[in-house]
Amino acid sequence: MTASKVELPKKPGIPGAIIFSLVFAFVLTVVTMITVEFSLTEILTNFGRRNLVADGLFNPDFGQILSERSLSAFIETLQLAVLGTVLGGGMSMFMAYWATEFGNPIRWLRAIVRTFNNVVRSIPDLLWALLFVTAVGIGILPGLLALFFFSMAVVTKLTSDTLDGIDMGPIEAAKASGSGLISMLRTAVIPQILPSYTSFVLYGFELNLRASAVLGLVGAGGIGSRIEFFRSRGDWSEVWGLVLMFFLVVFLVERFSVTIRRRLV
Amino acid sequence: MISFKNATVEYQPGVKAMDNLNLEIKEGEFVVVVGLSGAGKSTLIRTINNLVPLTSGELYVDGEAVHDLSRKKMRALRSRIGMIFQGFNLVDRATVLQNVLMGRVFKLPTWRTVFGAYPKKDQQVAAQALNRVGMLDRAYSRATDLSGGQRQRVGIARALAQEPKVILADEPVASLDPPTSHAVMQHLQKINQDLGITTIVNLHFLDLATAYGERVIGLREGKLVFDGPGSECTEEVFEGIYGRSLTAEDTLSEEA
Amino acid sequence: MSELSLPKKAIDWFRNITTLAIVVAVIWSLIGLEIRWERLIDLPADLFLIGTLMFGNLDIADFPNLAGAMWESISIAWVGTLIAALFAIPLSFLAAENLVGRPIAWVIRQVFNILRAVPEVILAIALIPIFGLTPLTGVLAIGIGSIGTLGKLFYEVIESIKKNPLEAADAVGANKLVRFRWGVLPQVMPEMTSFVLYRFEVNIRASAVMGLIGAGGIGNDVALALRFKDWEVAGMGLLIVILGTILVDAISGAARKRIIKGTQAKPIELAEV
Ligand SMILES: Nc1ncnc2c1ncn2[C@@H]1O[C@H](COP(=O)(O)OP(=O)(O)OP(=O)(O)O)[C@@H](O)[C@H]1O
Ligand SMILES: [Mg+2]
Repeated sequence: MTASKVELPKKPGIPGAIIFSLVFAFVLTVVTMITVEFSLTEILTNFGRRNLVADGLFNPDFGQILSERSLSAFIETLQLAVLGTVLGGGMSMFMAYWATEFGNPIRWLRAIVRTFNNVVRSIPDLLWALLFVTAVGIGILPGLLALFFFSMAVVTKLTSDTLDGIDMGPIEAAKASGSGLISMLRTAVIPQILPSYTSFVLYGFELNLRASAVLGLVGAGGIGSRIEFFRSRGDWSEVWGLVLMFFLVVFLVERFSVTIRRRLV
Repeated sequence: MISFKNATVEYQPGVKAMDNLNLEIKEGEFVVVVGLSGAGKSTLIRTINNLVPLTSGELYVDGEAVHDLSRKKMRALRSRIGMIFQGFNLVDRATVLQNVLMGRVFKLPTWRTVFGAYPKKDQQVAAQALNRVGMLDRAYSRATDLSGGQRQRVGIARALAQEPKVILADEPVASLDPPTSHAVMQHLQKINQDLGITTIVNLHFLDLATAYGERVIGLREGKLVFDGPGSECTEEVFEGIYGRSLTAEDTLSEEA
Repeated sequence: MSELSLPKKAIDWFRNITTLAIVVAVIWSLIGLEIRWERLIDLPADLFLIGTLMFGNLDIADFPNLAGAMWESISIAWVGTLIAALFAIPLSFLAAENLVGRPIAWVIRQVFNILRAVPEVILAIALIPIFGLTPLTGVLAIGIGSIGTLGKLFYEVIESIKKNPLEAADAVGANKLVRFRWGVLPQVMPEMTSFVLYRFEVNIRASAVMGLIGAGGIGNDVALALRFKDWEVAGMGLLIVILGTILVDAISGAARKRIIKGTQAKPIELAEV
């Protein structure tokens, strides 16, 4: 059986959008690399050189965490993360509710809530800390405020996205059976989102925990101020001792939190 | 062409999915395999290209001892056996042509396949295969943009592009509607008649089995319980294979 | 009608204990932290004052300079993200249990976990003595810091691929490389690309603060302006950070939507454990 030659249809060109994206990504990469003065040789020679930072890393002073000042700063950090998350997470419940259609039927008001949240979310944790240090002075209050706003924005975003997608059936059923707002929320909305919401708050806690370690760099309390103190003196063994110990704790708390989140969803 | 000698497959010790099977299939035959779910149809098909290895016994395909084959030789053998899947097994995000050209990979250097730089000759083979199943005009569509029947035709074209000696099809129509099922079966039948490719098809619809099976093989609990031409397959024969009376679910068309 | 009693409800120990743990943690924090809550009374007024100082008389003359600094931040984020992807891609294939053995996968995952725990700012602090107060420090901090998250997102994608195309590749006699090229890559490429973009969005925020400790970008300008009470400059800087971040989010988010279109990817934010 010999088949006669057949022609493949004409091959379509690569879509313009793909060519555009590739060229765009390439140009972006070249230009940004020039902007940051990227240099591979510099990276390699610098990493190859012996330096105090690396020496400290290989010889960390774990005992430092037990010194009185470091320990209290360390505990302060954990407490800041807990409190910041609880307050931020609590507030985000209202924010998320006001950002959804059934919670806030007035369209422009909803837009304001959402825009406000996006603006808050676009400011990074450490910048929040710096702003509040400027406003209320050095201390742990600015740190708490920073974590509050930061986690509130993240949890609000996630929760309101979830609220947008919930099943409207139970809400209608609740309304149809004549329940008021509170009992409607209680019976038709909260059961639907509680597991996700809890898991978002735990996620916010993980973010806050990591952020709380650096608050001190701008004077907003916690272990960061100790890290900054030793860094400014060039005591890298102490810096690494604190950093490694702290992240061991972060790591453990995170495992714990992830386990809970797995069980929730 | 294909011969099983006392072939046995155990997935777990003691549970035999193929039980001491002896079977000869000659070149150019069109064989339909039937049996209840779990009877070992898929297992039978998959031993032929060694996707499932034998636990004991012997199996010869196209002159090779499948039960005792080096990796390299096994891939060479697989390249001579086309396979068609119930779930089509296409690369969703690739084009129809790229999927069909998958059938050429064994014959080409790896770099050509990796970069998709296929020689004209192989593209022609793929085009012929697509033409045969009437999908040439969709060569540059994405696999995801096709209907189920069209996808299965691409699956057939991929097998054809291997220029295979044997085609294996594991329930190729199980996820298709009745008219499309017949169209796909007719493609397979025509390919078997025109090109003389030995074809083995698993089916669970008995009317399809009698309509297309030159030869029908019945399996129950991994054992061969029937072997005869499709024309001899009466309701009693099938009840024998199944070990129960037939129901409407056993046929593609409505009447049982 | 006789009284019916419902079957007894099982006690949900998991829930009770977690709730108790949270309550204890909150009380412990409330008591432990010596917060001067009374400062909160003045906070709104203070914020309003600073707000008017910062945004009351913005000077367009500050714009070019600060926009340039924001561009540097964006550049740091982009180059850093690419470096992270460069390392995370090969590593993530080694962390996928469906492609390699469990022991290898486990080791690589622990590397990811460790890298994930350390914030970029801490990495930057460690890199400053080596690379100086340059944008390159920020790039490397972000690059190293993102390997862990990207790697984790990647291997989860790899582990969720469908087996069917792999089976088809085996059946035509393909070798390992071809199997990978046509069985694995087409399935994971779109998600991976979209995760890279997502991480870029996250990294914009990280790079905007790199400057607070001197590692390049707009953070430096904002920090200095706040320190020297150069309110209008700080206000303009903050405005540019907000607008720049939202703009990049919008562009990158739109690109992600298009890339992922037609695939059933899970919401990214959640995947980022
Ligand atoms: N990968 C596997 N691991 C363990 N047992 C298996 C595996 N594949 C099949 N089996 C068992 O082997 C027996 C035969 O299975 P097989 O898939 O060959 O049946 P089948 O006739 O194709 O059934 P179906 O019509 O449902 O596809 C069944 O009992 C099945 O449970
Ligand atoms: Mg089967």
